[in-house]
Parts: sequence; structure tokens; C-alpha cells
Amino acid sequence: MNKTKPPISLTPAAHQRTLDGGLVAIQDLVRSCMQCGTCTASCPNAFAMDLAPRQVWRLLLYGLTQEVLQSRTFWLCSACYTCTLRCPRGLPLTAAMAALKRLAAAEGDAVNRKKALFYQEFMRNVEQNGRIQEMGFMCSYFLAMHNPMLPLEYTPLGLKLLGKGKLHLGGGAQRGRLGPLFAKVRSMEERP
Amino acid sequence: MKKEYGALVVGAGIGGIRAALDLAETGLKVALIDARPSLGGILAQLDHQFPTDHCGMCKMLPLTQRDQSSQYCLRKGIFHKNIDILLHTELSGLEGDPGKFTATLRRRSTFVDPTRCVSCGLCAEVCPARAPSEFNAGLSQRTAVYLPVPHNIPNHYVVDLDNCQRCWRCFEACPTKAIDFKFEQRKDFNIIVVTPDQQLSQDLPLWFTNENFPLHPAATGEEALGLLAGGLDCGLMLLDLDLPQAEAERTLRRALELRPNLAIVLLVSKNKDRDKVGDKDGGKDEAVAALIKQGAREALPKPLKQAQAVPWLDKLFMRLVSDETLSIEVGAVILAAGFECFNPADNPAGSADLLLYGGHPGVLTSLEFERLASPTGPSQGLLTRPGDGRPLRRIAWLQCVGSRDVKLKADFCSSFCCMISIKQALLAKRRTGGQAEATIFYMDMRTNGRDYQRYRDDAENQAGVRFIPARPHTILPGPDGGVLVQYFDYAGELREETFDALVLAVGARPPKSMERLALAAGIEVNESGFCATRYLAPNRTSRLGVFAAGAFGEPADIRGSLIQAGAAAMGASRMIRVYHGPRDETPEAEPKYADVSRQAPRVLVALCTSCPTLERNVNSALLRQRMEVLPGVVTVVDVPRACTREGWDILRHEAEASAPNRVLIGACLPYVHVPRLRELGEVLELNPALMDVVDIHTASFAGRDTSFAGHAACLASCSTKPGGGPGACDCGETARTNEMGSLLAMAAAKLLGADPSSLPQATPVSPQALVVGGGLAGMTAAMGIADQGFKVVLVEEAEHLGGLALNLRTTLEGNDPVRFMEDLVEQVEKNPNIRVLKDSRVVLSRGKAGRFVTVVATGEGVAHTLHHGATILATGGREAKVYEYGNRVHKCVLTQLELEQRLAAGTVDASSLSGVAMIQCWRSRGESRNYCSRVCCQGALKNILMLKKRNPGLPVYVFYRDIMTTGFSERFYTEARRSGAIFIRYTPDDRPRVEFEDDKPVITALDPVLGGQIEIRPDLLVLSSGVEPNDASEIADLFGVGLTEDGFFQEAESKWRPVDFLKHGVFACGLGLGPATMRESLLQAKAAAQRAVRILSEKQLSCGNVVAEIRQTLCSRCGRCIPVCPYGARSLDLDKDRIVVDELLCQGCGSCMAACPNSATVLRGFHDEQVMAVIDAALAGQPRAEARPQTAG
Repeated sequence: MNKTKPPISLTPAAHQRTLDGGLVAIQDLVRSCMQCGTCTASCPNAFAMDLAPRQVWRLLLYGLTQEVLQSRTFWLCSACYTCTLRCPRGLPLTAAMAALKRLAAAEGDAVNRKKALFYQEFMRNVEQNGRIQEMGFMCSYFLAMHNPMLPLEYTPLGLKLLGKGKLHLGGGAQRGRLGPLFAKVRSMEERP
Repeated sequence: MKKEYGALVVGAGIGGIRAALDLAETGLKVALIDARPSLGGILAQLDHQFPTDHCGMCKMLPLTQRDQSSQYCLRKGIFHKNIDILLHTELSGLEGDPGKFTATLRRRSTFVDPTRCVSCGLCAEVCPARAPSEFNAGLSQRTAVYLPVPHNIPNHYVVDLDNCQRCWRCFEACPTKAIDFKFEQRKDFNIIVVTPDQQLSQDLPLWFTNENFPLHPAATGEEALGLLAGGLDCGLMLLDLDLPQAEAERTLRRALELRPNLAIVLLVSKNKDRDKVGDKDGGKDEAVAALIKQGAREALPKPLKQAQAVPWLDKLFMRLVSDETLSIEVGAVILAAGFECFNPADNPAGSADLLLYGGHPGVLTSLEFERLASPTGPSQGLLTRPGDGRPLRRIAWLQCVGSRDVKLKADFCSSFCCMISIKQALLAKRRTGGQAEATIFYMDMRTNGRDYQRYRDDAENQAGVRFIPARPHTILPGPDGGVLVQYFDYAGELREETFDALVLAVGARPPKSMERLALAAGIEVNESGFCATRYLAPNRTSRLGVFAAGAFGEPADIRGSLIQAGAAAMGASRMIRVYHGPRDETPEAEPKYADVSRQAPRVLVALCTSCPTLERNVNSALLRQRMEVLPGVVTVVDVPRACTREGWDILRHEAEASAPNRVLIGACLPYVHVPRLRELGEVLELNPALMDVVDIHTASFAGRDTSFAGHAACLASCSTKPGGGPGACDCGETARTNEMGSLLAMAAAKLLGADPSSLPQATPVSPQALVVGGGLAGMTAAMGIADQGFKVVLVEEAEHLGGLALNLRTTLEGNDPVRFMEDLVEQVEKNPNIRVLKDSRVVLSRGKAGRFVTVVATGEGVAHTLHHGATILATGGREAKVYEYGNRVHKCVLTQLELEQRLAAGTVDASSLSGVAMIQCWRSRGESRNYCSRVCCQGALKNILMLKKRNPGLPVYVFYRDIMTTGFSERFYTEARRSGAIFIRYTPDDRPRVEFEDDKPVITALDPVLGGQIEIRPDLLVLSSGVEPNDASEIADLFGVGLTEDGFFQEAESKWRPVDFLKHGVFACGLGLGPATMRESLLQAKAAAQRAVRILSEKQLSCGNVVAEIRQTLCSRCGRCIPVCPYGARSLDLDKDRIVVDELLCQGCGSCMAACPNSATVLRGFHDEQVMAVIDAALAGQPRAEARPQTAG
């Protein structure tokens, strides 16, 4: 964003919209943010983000949901918890990022839903195998993305990983072991 | 009999000293105690204070009646005849009611007798122990026997028992036997060991054979009690908890009944399972806690080991027999225990690792930096990095370390760090000749004092200090031992810089002993751990008769601390008057001194002879000879130990016999003798100004460090002689004798030339005060004076009392200012000591401190002539008028004050609004009014919280520059953020733009976080217009006081004399002095009232002995001396056509003498001839270096 762009209009309507959506809960997490930028400065992935974390909080508080959901910032959060640890206001920033991921997966546009696929496939793989099995996960992710070109894009990376022995074909020793855990979480989430 | 004092002041830091002086100057006796072994608190470590970048602490000393106190550097020490100082002393209990408290003080022994210690330093030379030096903030090491502050007077060594290794070398080294470890008393210190453990009862006596303690093992409690009942004088009981619990408990109770002062220490075995496995430690801990509650001193883990038990018990013995408990009666108590600096390393959540503190020598706290920059610090003021000693050239400051951090339980602003960092940045620049680059990383730069913003602007624009609004959080070791800092700048770019040092601007924490002190004094603490005070009674604690001074109630800078201390002193003084009735008003009889001006000088020289170092190092016969031949000397007497009563009696006897008219005493520790000189003066009928004490002691051992003049030359010549070498001759002794002789000869010459004529007449005091301005500050000040029994005339221009504060409807803290003001007006109007003149103005004023004559004209045209001793100007201020941004054109544009009133009246309905925007600092801190108005941020927060309370969903946008919520008001800033208000920072170059469409504001501004423009269309635009002073130029002219460029009153010194004017006897408070909140105005008013009472409580004011005089025949009226006088004591009297000196204002600094081209101005006690004679005496007595080997050999 730069000065040549037209000003972002903060109409009462924009603010109102934030009051009813699921966004209020996320706003509540970051309300006492004082824009010190500690989160941004300490984020290891900030270099790759299009919006800095503190910009995300600011847009959220403005009620500019769309701008936030269009960014890839929260998808890039690797949940290292550095920002949460360092925030002088003690805000649960990693939780806010996670909440944004959930919101985007549930209510976001097609792009966001597609981005969520990675997480969904990852978790499904973990649930099935009791741990991550890279090969299986890779296949199911590519299938879910419905993009035949995607595997080609990842080929160089895949070969590299294979060379280093990082791609396991996987055994079934831990299969289903985490099933009860997932079930429990599901039942807790269903409870009001 | 218990000693009685007017007030007890706890804490001898700057706040405590101010409060003690304020009370002592009104004639109250004050006990000033401090837990540290030294005076001055944290300020002893700080050399430079903004805005002058000097110290200036001495400006707090009394200006009149100067001879009642010492008149030299206040950082070194304070002597006032009404102040008793007890160091290393804590308050351990406070019983009784206001007016008659009984305070229990625990004085921890320093093991050094201050009447014997001569600070020679031999003890520290032999001490093998090392501990981090508190004075140098841990940057250097000290010994276990040490000087707490190197520059104090008196300065005595103290023993830090915790770090002592019990080698007793200092005891052996001390030449004056000042160190006392109570060796003699060990054999009488009976210890009973009650233990069923046979091994232990056999071991213990063996272990302690060397220590000489008589040990009495007892297998059961009965046996021990039997010993006690049998009359054994027992000092300590070790009680093993392996005894059955009931028996242990009974033994403890019964032992304490028999010997209430018996120290009982519990031995608790940690390894053995005494009880069931389940609750072995829980049950035991409870039992221990219960026994400690019943009077046991402490608990010690078993099994004991000889290596630990012996030193521990020995130290405990020394504490038990050396520590004292005192009990005094006081009328009121002032707590000024100050604060501690936050230490990131102390706290596990203190981010020491993130900030690299402790792990990198380049990361310092601001206190450590202060010591580095100090000439008395570890690097002698050269800014070098501890560790590798590299010069510091690129330095960064990081603000808000330990402040404004809810995770560290610090939801407050420490108030002083911003200004300290600017000061340190400028200091670094100056120390390095401008080479150092200084960068300050900040969140909000809180320059919230009247002149602070200009100080910051000068630092930024002239000195080139960089200010970066960012909070770096990635700090890594950088190249060349530097510190790498990563931060996001204002434009959102990630930046990396390497600095030589990173200074953490650490915030305030309550003193470590707070819990104990609060319990002892019976006061409440607030959620941040500071002393709880109320917003509208900020000098009071939760206990009646106990007041909070300095930074004890809320973090504050020096100015704030002193104002708070003055207000606390006023509260205490009032309390003492209310509960004690009028003070004994009979003044001390003025001593009568004979007129010796027509007598030839007859000098008596007394030399103290019997100090061991003196005998060893000085040839006293030679010294005596030299003294006898000095002009005017009639007798030289040797006095054995002048410091003792007996010695002094001999001196007095000799003096009575020879009837001298000048007395010169050569002894150690001159300050000890000052009160005695007064006594001697009464006996001899001789003015103490004609007596002098010379410190011959320091010189007597100064030669040891070979610093005396000529020593090097002597050593060189000695070593060239055959058989010679260093120390081969006794030239050291001769040199010292010579040096001492010169010192005495100089003092004698000075005494010979002293002017024996009597001092100018003292000014009688009119016991009435005039207060100009009937607002919050004026009324509070009037009440403060009237409550202490003096008449007050309160002059108000308007037809009703109240002023600006009447417009307020709420306060941030939730008080009711309307009710408060109504009550205050009623109290003032009903007070029999206050005469209120409304609709009146001052038209004329003449006179000086103690004696003003002022004419006040009322609206009806009646003129009143008032005689008053002190004046308080509280002419107040007003809300600044703003016409920009559509104010007063569009209905939707309000000021913060208007919004507050409409919200209170209900004419603004928060629920019907769809958006509110606020613009802070509108015009304040701009070119026309470049100061922070202090009240607008608080006003905005107040309105935000009110709006959000009524309509939680209402969007509120605040455009701000720096939010100035210092102290505990930070909490409301956090709350406002939490309630959902959005704060958007702007810079003065890029202000928000406001247009109007359909009578509604449209605001466009840059959002620095997003880096883009935003547009807001709120229903209401609220402007923080700021405050400005009422036009006080006329009043300032009438009373001869100054105004700042903004039209506020110019106080004498913004830090040290914050409510005084340069013109003595005139004081200021409230908005007229500078922007202030209600709380600050109240404090200022109370402090000013106390300053006025200080003058009113004197019957007459007399000047000091050293004042300037003018030889009118030589004076050419050139007027050069008038502007150079720092006290404004000189003026040109046009009627008489001569320069006049106000003796009360003149402090004898001598600037006028230096400026006068004709030598027409002279200083009593420093005449030219006298000074020349002193110099002659100094040079005459100094044999030339090359002549020395002959005299020695």
C-alpha cells in the first residue's frame, strides 16, 4: 500500500460489520494492542508476509476483514509463539493467527479455502497414521488441489528431500493411535 | 525517656531530604532515617540532571537563616540543627495515633564507631572479600568493609556483615580502634542448644571453642528452661524441631516469657522423615511458620556443618549484640522510601535473555550508564564499554524496559525514563565532543513537563539525537563486540543497526522492603506495589498522620518528587499543629556577642593532639612552633582529643583564661565541631563567625598515597643518594607537617581579616500570607496556610471562587470534582483564618520576604492595604481557544472539555452516535505553544471510557502524537485500548486533514501502521485544545517575578525549587506555573503553602554571615552586577541612585565581586586583603621541593 492509493474509508458500516461476524472474537484477542511492532520484529516469517502482523491487527480493529482475509500473512504463521511470548501487552497473538486461519477456512473465498486444504490434509494424515507420513500427505494434498501442474512445481524440492532421506514411505506402526484424541477434540468443539 | 520529634521521615533520598528540610525550617524537630548506610538515595549515584545537566541539589538548602544548616554540597551531606539523621535504620513498628505516634526503629550496626572512624581506608586495604559495588551499580567491586558513597561527609566505613569473611584483618588494621566486632562480649554470650541429638550436643561446643562462646547443651526443653529459670544470662537458644512438636512449642513460649528478648533459632532437619511420608514437608513447614509467628527469629536447616554454622552463629551474635532498637515519639510520619530500578536480571520474566542483559557487556541499564558517565564511576567518566574498554561511539537507548508492560505487572509509566534517556544522549554527545551518535527507540516520548518538549526538540534538532518510534525486539551480539538491533521503522521497513552499547531505560519498582515497611507503618499498597494514595488527597496514605513523599506513592522525576515531598511536609506540619495545638512559640534566646571590632586580633590556636595517625605522621612540636610565630596568635594550646566532651572542656577552659577574640581549632571532622562553636560563642560572648575549625586530620594520612606536593621530587632526590631509596628519609612527615602548618596559617590569616562588625538588622516577619487567585490551587494553598494557624488573604478576580476546575465533571480515577470543589469553596469561605476578597485585584506591591505591603482594590472601589510575609501566586490558566478544524463553526466539532460537560449533562447521547474522532495535541506542542498541556490525554481517555461505557460498539478514532499518561494513569490508556478505541499516530509534518461534507467532518490521515491513507466520517470531532496561562504579566511585574516565553511563571529552578520564585517570599502553584492535572495542582499548592509557612513561622529573618556589600563611593552604577546575580538579590534603586543588595536573597556566591570592574562590591568574609593574606600564608609555609632533602636529612 502506498500514498497514491485512494484512502481506505472507515465507514461506520465497515465497523458495524465487524460487530456481528465471527471477527469480534478475534478482535477481542488483540484489542489492547498498542502497535509497538514487537510481534512483527520478532516474527521469523515476517519477510515473506505481505502484511506485517501489526498491520493485520490494525486492519482487524478497523473492521477491514476482507483486506485481512486476502493476505497470506496468517497462513504463513508457523505458530512458533515468539510474538505471544514477547508481546508487552500479553496478547495471545498466535491464537489470533490460528483463529484467522479457521475463519478463512470456514468463511473465506475459494482462494482461502484452497489454502486451508494444506492444513486439512496435513491433519487428516496425522490422524490416520499417528504421525506425519510425507509421501502419503504429498499425494493426498496434490489430489485435493486438483492441479496437475502442482506436482511438477514441487518436483525439484521433492527430489532434494528424497536425496536426504526425508521422504518416508511410512510404516503403519502408529496408525490410528491418535484417533481417540481427534475424536475427543471434535466432541469438545461440538459442545456449545 | 523517649526522644520526641515533630516528624519522622523514612527515607533520606531526595524526597525525604526535601520533606525534612521543609519541616525543620519551620522549627520542627525531624528524625530522618534511611535503611541504607548513606544519604541521598539514588541521586547520590546520578551526577547530571536535565534540563540544566548539572546537579544543583544545593539549591534546596535554606536561603534565610542559613547558619542553622550547613551551606555546602548537599550531595555530600546535610546538617541542620533541627534534623537528626539515623542511617542504616528501618522503621519496624508504628503505634498510636496522629500527633502522638510511637515509632520503633531498628538500627542495624555498621560495626564501625563513627566517632572514631577517620576514613583512612586502611581497613579496606586489607579486606580480602569482594562484592559488587552498589554505588557503581555493580560495575565495580568493593570490599566488605567499604565506603557506601565515596564523597559523603561525614564519611565512615561500614562493615557489610553478609560478605565479611571474619578474618578480622580490618579490626587489626584500624589505627583508631573504630571497628568493633564485640570480641570481649563473646565469653558472656551464653547459648543454649536444645536438641535430643547427642552427636550435635557434643559437636557444637568443640566447634565453637575458638569463638569463646559458652555453650549449654540441653537434651529436653525442661532442662533448657531450668537453665533459664536458674538465672543463666542467655543470648541465644537453638531449638531443635526433632523434639516433639508440643515440647518445642512449650519451650519456645516459656523461654520467651522468661526472657522476652531472647533470640530463638529453630533447627529443622530436611533429610530425615520425621512424619508420615505423605505430608512430611508440608506439616513441618507449617509448624516452622507457626513458631516463627510466635517469636522465633529464623529457621536453620539441619544437619549443621561446622564450616557454615560457625560463621553464621558468629554473625548472628554480632548482630544481636550490636543492633539497637530505638523508640521515638513523633507527631507525624512521612514515608519517602523511594523506588528501586527495575532489574531485568532479577525477574525470570524480565526478558534479560531477550534483551541480552547480563550476557553482553554492551547492554547496560540506564543506572549503569549513569555510573559510566560519572567522573566518580568505574571508568572515571570516560564512556567505555565494560569488559573490553572500547570507547562508546554509537549508543542506543531502549525505552519502557520494565514499564508499561502488563506481563511484568507494570501497567504504569515510570515517568522519568524518557527525560533521563534524552539527558544521557546529550551527555554522551558532550562527553565525546559530539562524536557519539545517540539513538532513542521509544513508544511514546513522554515530555510532559512545561519545558520538556523544548528540551527534546533541542536534542533532536540541534544536538542530532535520533528519535525512532519503534520497539526493537531482536537484539543480538554484533560484530566487534557490539550489539545488533533489529527493528521495524515508522514506514514499516525492517532495519538492522549495530551499536557499541544499548542502554535499557529501566523503570521504577517499589522498594524491596515495601512489604515490611507497609506492615510496620500500617499502610496499604496499590496493585502495582507502590504506596496507595487517593487522587484528590495525593500526599496522604491510607493511615491518618502518615504521608507519602517523593516517588513513594507514584513514580516521579525529581521535580515531581520534590513537589510531592513539599506537600507531604505540609500535611505532616498541619497534622502536628492540629493535634499538638500551637507550637511553643517562645523563640530561642538570641545569643549576645560582644563587639570586638575595635580590639586588636587575639587568636587562640587549639591543636588536637592525641589521634594516633596524627602522632605518627606529624611532628607536632614543629607545628606548634610554627603556629606560635603567626601574627596575632596569643596562645597555642594542645587539646587531647578535641572530639570528646573532656577535650572540649579543656579547650573551653583555656579559652576563658586567655580571652581571645578569634579562635582557630585544628582537629579532625570540622562538621562535628560546628554546633559546639555556637556553644563556645555563648560562653566567650564571641560570634562563631570569628571561629574556625581546620581539618588537620585528612592531611595527616594523605601522604600515604604520595599525593602531597613535592613528594615525587623528594623521592627522586632520595633515591639518588647513596644508601637512599623510597622511604629512606622522613620527608613524608615533614611534608605533612608543612602542609598542615599551611592549612592552619591560611585559616589564621582568614580569621585575622574577618570583619567583626555586626550583621545587618534582621527583618521582622508579618505573620500573614497573601494568595492571589481563588482556583483549586489558590484555595488549597490558602487552606494549607490557614490550617497551620496563620492569617491568609485570598484575592480572586472573579465574583466567585473555583476557577477552571469548576468546569470539570469527572476525573479519570472516578472522583467527583464537582463535589470536591463545592466542599473546598465552603471550607475556604468558612475558615476564620481566611479572608476572601472576590472581584478584587492587586494593584501595588512593595517589599521583600517577610515584609510585603500590598494594595488590593475591590470591585466596589475600596482599597485594602495588606501587610504580609509571604505571597503565593496561583493565577491559573484556561482552556486554549481554537478556531481551526471547524471549531465554533460546525456543531459537530467540540473540545474535550465541552464533550465532558455534555456527556455529564446528557446533551450528547453516546448511543445515537455512529463514530467519534479525536485529535490530540491540536496546537499544543506546536510552534505557538510548544509544551504538553498535560490534561488533554487524560481528558480524552476520560471521554473515551465514558463513551465506550455507554455505547461499547461506538467506533472511536484518536489521532495522537505521544500519549502522555505518566504514572498510574497509564492504566486508563490500556483500558481505553482494550475498550476498542483505535489510536493512530501522526507527526507534526503530516497532520490529519479535516473537511466538512453536509456539516459532517471528513478526516483523512496517514495511518503509519498500514502505510496508507485512511478516511473517517465520524459524527463528532473532538479537539484537545490544550491549556494556556491566564495573563499574568501585570502580576509578575507587581511582584517582580519572571514569566516564561509561554506566559507561565518562571520558577527559581524547575527541579530543585519548583514552586519558589527567584524572588524570595513569593511562590507559585497551579496552572499559572505550568500545565498540570488536578492532582499535580493540589500537590503544588500544598508544597507552596509549606514554603510560605516556613517564612511565616519565623519571628524575623536574618541573613547569613557571608553577604555582599557595596562601597558606594567606588560604585559607578554600571549595573554589571545586577544580571550576574543568580539569586536576583541586586537591583538599582532609582530614588537613591545606588545599587542595593537584598541581604536575605544574597547567598554570598561572589559572582558580583568578579563582575565589578571597580572592586566596589565586596563579600563579607572574603575581602581582597583577606584572600591575599590567605594565599600568602599558603605559599609562605611551603618550603621549596629542592630544599627538602636538607631539612629532612
